[in-house]
Amino acid sequence: MKKTIKKNIINIYYIPALVLFGIFVIYPLLKGLQLSFTNWDGFSQNYSNVGWRNYQALFKDANIKTTLINTVIYGFGSTLLQNVLGLAYALFLNRKFTGRNVARAVIYVPAMVASLIMGYMYYFILQYDGGALNDILAVFGLEAVDWLSKGSWAVILITLINSIQFVGVSMILYLAGLQGIPSSYYEAAELDGASKWQSFRHITLPLLLPAITSSVMLNLIGGLKLFDIIQALTAGGPGFASHSLATLVSYTYFRGQNAGYSATIGIFSFVLIMAVSIVLMRFFTKKEGDV
Amino acid sequence: MKRKMISLVLGVCMMVTMMVGCSQKPEQLENEEKNTTENVGDAGEEDGASQEAPEGASSEEASSDEGGKKYEGITLSFMSNIAGVQSEAMEEVIAQFEAETGAVVEYSSPGASYEELMKTKMAANQLPDLFTTHGWSIARYGQYLEPLNGQEWASRLSESAKQVVVEASSGNFYCLPVDVDVAGIIYNKTVLDAAGVNVDELKTWDAFAESLGKIKEAGYTPIHIGGKDNWTIGQFFDWVAPSYLITDEANNHRDALKDGSFDWSNWKGLAQMMADWKAEGYFNTDCLTADYNAQIKAMAEDKVAFEFLGNSAVTEMQSVNPDVDLGLMSVPSSSDTDEPTLIGGERIAIGVWKDSANKEAALELLGYFAQDENMKNVATADGAPASFEGVESDTGIIKDDLAKYMSQCRIFPYFDREYLPNGMWDDMCITGASILAEDSGAVDNACSAMEESYKAKLEVQ
Repeated sequence: MKKTIKKNIINIYYIPALVLFGIFVIYPLLKGLQLSFTNWDGFSQNYSNVGWRNYQALFKDANIKTTLINTVIYGFGSTLLQNVLGLAYALFLNRKFTGRNVARAVIYVPAMVASLIMGYMYYFILQYDGGALNDILAVFGLEAVDWLSKGSWAVILITLINSIQFVGVSMILYLAGLQGIPSSYYEAAELDGASKWQSFRHITLPLLLPAITSSVMLNLIGGLKLFDIIQALTAGGPGFASHSLATLVSYTYFRGQNAGYSATIGIFSFVLIMAVSIVLMRFFTKKEGDV
Repeated sequence: MKRKMISLVLGVCMMVTMMVGCSQKPEQLENEEKNTTENVGDAGEEDGASQEAPEGASSEEASSDEGGKKYEGITLSFMSNIAGVQSEAMEEVIAQFEAETGAVVEYSSPGASYEELMKTKMAANQLPDLFTTHGWSIARYGQYLEPLNGQEWASRLSESAKQVVVEASSGNFYCLPVDVDVAGIIYNKTVLDAAGVNVDELKTWDAFAESLGKIKEAGYTPIHIGGKDNWTIGQFFDWVAPSYLITDEANNHRDALKDGSFDWSNWKGLAQMMADWKAEGYFNTDCLTADYNAQIKAMAEDKVAFEFLGNSAVTEMQSVNPDVDLGLMSVPSSSDTDEPTLIGGERIAIGVWKDSANKEAALELLGYFAQDENMKNVATADGAPASFEGVESDTGIIKDDLAKYMSQCRIFPYFDREYLPNGMWDDMCITGASILAEDSGAVDNACSAMEESYKAKLEVQ
């Protein structure tokens, strides 16, 4: 008995974490699920149950389609850019040369800036009247461009800015991964006459898979939940053209005063991110097992 | 053994930290001790934002027991959507109250996030002791606010203020309107002079549109909208809709809008007007991506002729360029048979949470704002007419225009606050953004989207 208690006493230390997880994750999720079946306006003390009406509305809502496409672009677009660029940076900065640490810091520093601030910084660069980019164009005698006025452009720019900001995180993960690969593998491959590409393809990439998994999952979840940069750059506009599911949740709740529907979008977003995460995790786990 | 001891100590520390985190604030404990000693009642329910005084603790009791000031030991929470010089003027009144009564007022002005914060506080039913109502003292905040009809100063409200804050169904009012918002269209005299436009000739929207053409030809931006902050798009409809749907005594939709029978095809006229002006290039190129600050700056720098903003924007424009020559004109009518009008509503209006444990102190602070000199100072900082009979504020550069049009024109309430269900403001902003983006079918879509939202929101209310 004493032994069992002694053995399990370590479990007590989980309790604070579980309590916090329950309060800040599980309870809001369940509350959100409950609200998604109501017509609550977000502030009144009263609301009524509307059954599945919000979910039916979700599938008829034209703005959801645009928002969903945007969210997928933010998620997968950012993930692709951050990982390709992050890996390239890591490969380059894994070599020894003067200024290597400065270069690493320069690439990583944007990740330390709050996304909202990053968004506003780029807004001042991209704004039509007095924006830095248009001022540069003016120096060359070119017409000013309203960069964020078209939804498709706004979505591309937001994806790019998000990728630039967080490429440093991927770079660090890949650098850590690269430094864990023994140099003897490359030496052996070189002796066997393998080309640089073959070494990369058959040594670096397979052994980087754990880092790729972490980086892709982090970037993807971050991209699918993207909020701050959109808020600062376009506030989801023009109209609904650059909204992500995350900004739409906030917008529908506070501005649209439709907390019930907002909760429905939130639940949809949660299910989407969870489904994508599970599929990708399985894919990467299988790949890692194959190595 | 050593390891076990360290684990035990760390575990205990963690639990203690959690308990301390969940416990009351030290100030509150101190306060409760004080209250117990004074034996004046039970501690009030904590509202999360303020440190509560004992329920029913009168100023006399507090004063006599401590020999100190009337509300010594009481902390009031006060949230406001007002910023800048207006907020500074309010803080002066608060400082005076604090100095004379000993109360502490935790005043905060969270800026753009004010409405969101207030909505979360309403949802939790934990509101600040006092807060500004920004036009919604009846429709949104009425159920949370203390009726103020019985206050000493209540009889001094001017007729125009009463029109704005008194609930028609009950005769109650729930806020002290420090000043009233009487708005028209703000214009830049320098630009209009250069374009040869005389605002006194702009009685109808047709005449107004003609002037926009002249202004554009003269090389200026006729109208500036900071559509990234899309409420500035909603402003356009708030200014234009009354002339199409409300102000014509012979032909209006006042009743239909209120009883839910409004035919939304009537919205097409004003939506089409926006679309036509956009097609003509009468709005700034970046009308969807510029923000409110850009709007203020453009007017201050004599680049723009007209803006559809409240009068408080004038003060902000002058802070960018003190020499800017601005004026205020009435809002044109949509037909020759009607007359230009002005728009009116709450501006700086303060209410007291009906469940506040410090209601007495909060009402007394409200009384400070109702003192002639204080009201005058705050209203002057806001550049708006004070709401009491006999209190004259300085409305600054637009003083003459305001006096002129207030004597000539009828004043109608902000369209969305009076005639649309709560929450529809955003629909005007979004549908307007779509029109400005020149989306295909945007005008028809605006009518149908407004109708759909109108019906859905009426159903909830």
